[in-house]
Amino acid sequence: MTDPVATQIEDKFTYQASSEPGTVDMMVNMGPQHPATHGVFRMELRVDGEQIQDVVPHIGYLHRGSEKLCEHELYSQIITLFDRFDYVSNFNNELVIVSAVEKLMGVEPPPRAELIRIIMCEFNRIASHLLFYGTFAIDMGAITPVLYNFRDREKIQSLFESVSGARMMHNYFRVGGVKEDVKDDFTSRALALCDELERGVDETDKLLTENEIFVERTTGIGVISGEDALDWGLSGPVLRASGVPYDVRVDEPYSRYSELDFGIPVGSAGDCWDRFYLRILEARESLSIIRQAMALLEPGDTMAQIRRIARPPAGEVYAHCENPRGDLGVYIVSDGGERPYRLKVRPPSFCNLQALKDLTVGHYIADAVVILGTLDIVLGEVDR
Amino acid sequence: MLSGLKGLGVTLRGALRPKVTTEYPKEHLPIDERFMGFPALTWDSNRVEPYCTGCMVCVRYCPTQCMSAQMKDNDKFVEGDSHRKKIIESFEINLSRCILCGICVDVCNFDAIEMSHEHERSERLRNANRVDLPELLEMGKKYQAEVRWKQSKPSPASPNEKAEIKAVSEAKKASEADSEATNKQSEAPDSGEDAA
Amino acid sequence: MSFIEVVFAIAGLFGLFTGLAVAVLSLTWMERKTLARIQQRAGPSVVGPHGLLQPVADAMKLATKEDMIPNYADKLLFWMAPIFVAVPAFMIWIAIPFGDNLAVRVLDLGLLYLVAISGIGVVGLLMGGWASSSRYSMLGGLRAAAQLVSYEIPIVIVILSIAVLVQSLSLDAVIGGNTISIGDDTRDLPGQGAIPFAFIMPMGLLIFLIAGLAELGRTPFDIHHAESEVVGGPFVEYSGAHWAVFFLAEYLNTFVISALIVILFFGGWSWPAPPESLFGNDLSSTATNLIGGAWLMIKTYLVAIGIFWIRGTYPRLRIDQLMAFAWQVLIPLSFVNLVLIAIVLFYDWPLWVMTAVSLPIILGVGIAVQRRRGARGRPQTVRILRRSAGEIGVPMPPASTPVTDQVQAGG
Repeated sequence: MTDPVATQIEDKFTYQASSEPGTVDMMVNMGPQHPATHGVFRMELRVDGEQIQDVVPHIGYLHRGSEKLCEHELYSQIITLFDRFDYVSNFNNELVIVSAVEKLMGVEPPPRAELIRIIMCEFNRIASHLLFYGTFAIDMGAITPVLYNFRDREKIQSLFESVSGARMMHNYFRVGGVKEDVKDDFTSRALALCDELERGVDETDKLLTENEIFVERTTGIGVISGEDALDWGLSGPVLRASGVPYDVRVDEPYSRYSELDFGIPVGSAGDCWDRFYLRILEARESLSIIRQAMALLEPGDTMAQIRRIARPPAGEVYAHCENPRGDLGVYIVSDGGERPYRLKVRPPSFCNLQALKDLTVGHYIADAVVILGTLDIVLGEVDR
Repeated sequence: MLSGLKGLGVTLRGALRPKVTTEYPKEHLPIDERFMGFPALTWDSNRVEPYCTGCMVCVRYCPTQCMSAQMKDNDKFVEGDSHRKKIIESFEINLSRCILCGICVDVCNFDAIEMSHEHERSERLRNANRVDLPELLEMGKKYQAEVRWKQSKPSPASPNEKAEIKAVSEAKKASEADSEATNKQSEAPDSGEDAA
Repeated sequence: MSFIEVVFAIAGLFGLFTGLAVAVLSLTWMERKTLARIQQRAGPSVVGPHGLLQPVADAMKLATKEDMIPNYADKLLFWMAPIFVAVPAFMIWIAIPFGDNLAVRVLDLGLLYLVAISGIGVVGLLMGGWASSSRYSMLGGLRAAAQLVSYEIPIVIVILSIAVLVQSLSLDAVIGGNTISIGDDTRDLPGQGAIPFAFIMPMGLLIFLIAGLAELGRTPFDIHHAESEVVGGPFVEYSGAHWAVFFLAEYLNTFVISALIVILFFGGWSWPAPPESLFGNDLSSTATNLIGGAWLMIKTYLVAIGIFWIRGTYPRLRIDQLMAFAWQVLIPLSFVNLVLIAIVLFYDWPLWVMTAVSLPIILGVGIAVQRRRGARGRPQTVRILRRSAGEIGVPMPPASTPVTDQVQAGG
């Protein structure tokens, strides 16, 4: 029963004698078509029984060459590409590129536009976290939370549809503002949605957070210390769960975040439970941000008076924002033309994925799935 | 075990609530008026011709290069029925390639292209989603009727209209000159210009 | 055995087979509808009224699908595995009583038979897992073996304590009661017509339910075919009719565990109202049996819905936690249950003593599990830092004083 393909793959690993005599480790190929890898991600696991000895991650199945494409696109067209990096938090991605170009051009968007952007981004953060709770629960075998969370996510997307005209790939933020003003019923609709989302998040909280099986599965799994997390360059909830209080929204406040008062949940255990619960709290903080921003919203322009085709001066700029997944940065080199000379993205998912081996080795196969779930990667962003 | 029971309560409460899904092919969720479906070309029912002049600006700004267009001289302009010197001859959009970003609508100077509410298209052939001018105009007419579409600013007058206006104003001027006193004459040219 | 008996046995088998096939179809429909209800969806709704014919359509689809066998599979074992799983699932039903003295074969050792037959299925899972020549299915097969063998023990011990209670291994005695005579002392042991054993042995019910779920491989113990880990476990490489047979066996087992819970703990065909007490003794035996069978089926379906409800709520355990739970919690508890009932019967205490002792134990174990494994026992490690409190980030300007005032004060 020798399987030539499998042996070929196995040869890549140096066989290490397992703890018991007369046995060898087994290679399990998880992905790219595996229900728990959240897309086309592939892990080669070397397992002793069910215990993971080694992990080799393979990425690039979704590589579209977006960074290179950006060099051939106008700045207004690049926004559409950024929508497709992290395709579950589109507004947050758009915010990075427009704020980078604005920084380079020295343009100040009108205050109303900035607030609309913040509201949209925070709604999108909640939508992204809702997706995380759901898929994470699916990874652990609970099938109901994902549908409850999709129910609420659909409501957010309907709001997005009424604002930007698209449910996912919005292309709504522009260099110097937003495409068009929100509708008249936006405020009432958004505030009502906030209440509904609060109930939805509470539901997930009740369903999972305190459940014995859930706690048993997540406590002490995939622990990473704050120092290690910083060394790996992790960011976002994964970093904060390890006790490092770093959030771009408060450490380098961009847009109008400096006017808003909100809390940053910070864990200390650095395990999967912390990473999950932190996101629950973060969604609630996002709701508070939205309510504050709604209160600040005043009528006014939504677009600065600039040329329709953005033509930033020659120079370099780095701008970063707090994505639902972490610190998303974009570095633009401009030669003064309509298109960037070079554009580099710092994708949080990709950087968070680096710690995968440190986190998984020594755990069981079932834990690898849970750990990958809490890293909350989006392959569109990892592979770009 | 005890906090697990709380979860059972949550699912039980979920079971008592009405369903939130719709059975898609039978029922459709309402589409927001801002919804961006596939792009369509608008139809100018006053001039009985498309708004599009084939200026190619949307073609150049399209991030996916899914459009192509060609312009021609407008016969109606020659006849004097339209203000458009050039008119679209052929326009093709590969809707399979379109990413519905709405940039073409933003850049268009003539209200000629709009994101319609059309969003369900499936064809058996790979290239069957390439739509040409008549089909785009059909989509546009449907969309215009659906949202009671209005152009953002009124179109300038066609040569015939200009001539008409001129004739009217001149006739008016002449009649005014005949009937009214001479001090009114200074205002007449102004009103003529406004109408033009 | 006379000719008539043979004919009746064959007719009974055919009837059973047909009935079970219908039961499986109804269960799949019911599971999908129950989960849909929980998840605020519609569930199957297109084929037939309320999607009632959906399972039939699915069965037809599966039967007509191409049946693929992987190149490197052990073809004989691969082919046999589904049979090894499905046949015991059917065989168990031979002993299940649908009414007083009404079963395909009334066995005096019914309880022993159930235990013996239900252990065979794991061989099929292990065979399928090994023969598929896939890493996932092998892992799944091994998981299944470990899990099913471990959870067999609490089930057996609980069944044993029931046998101790009724002093018989016959399923009829479990429901209808038993009369034993030791020397001159003749006594009637209780059946479940009046009080189901669930109220006498709540601990036994709980253990049986949990271990039964594990035997079925249902959430929260669906470890051997966990989709997000081993992608279906032993069934990964199966398709078409072979897979359908696995599927059939899975639902049959669900049905069997539900029926066993009803028979062992909820009085089978005689509770809440025995047919005789309902209509008196003048009822024909057919009608009595029909009412009894209806009681059994109604309760079985209710238990099955409960199992689906649990599936809709819980995440799954990990294999080592599952084993630890079996060996550290369930097996000791089942022995406690056995010893308790033995003591109660030996000293001839009233049966409510058993209930009175069991309930605090269940509560205590529940709290202990929660303390040790639940969120209550977990240190709350996440706290919220606020910028307004100066705990994180750049400090916020005080909201009350506008920036211009500060500049003036500084100047």
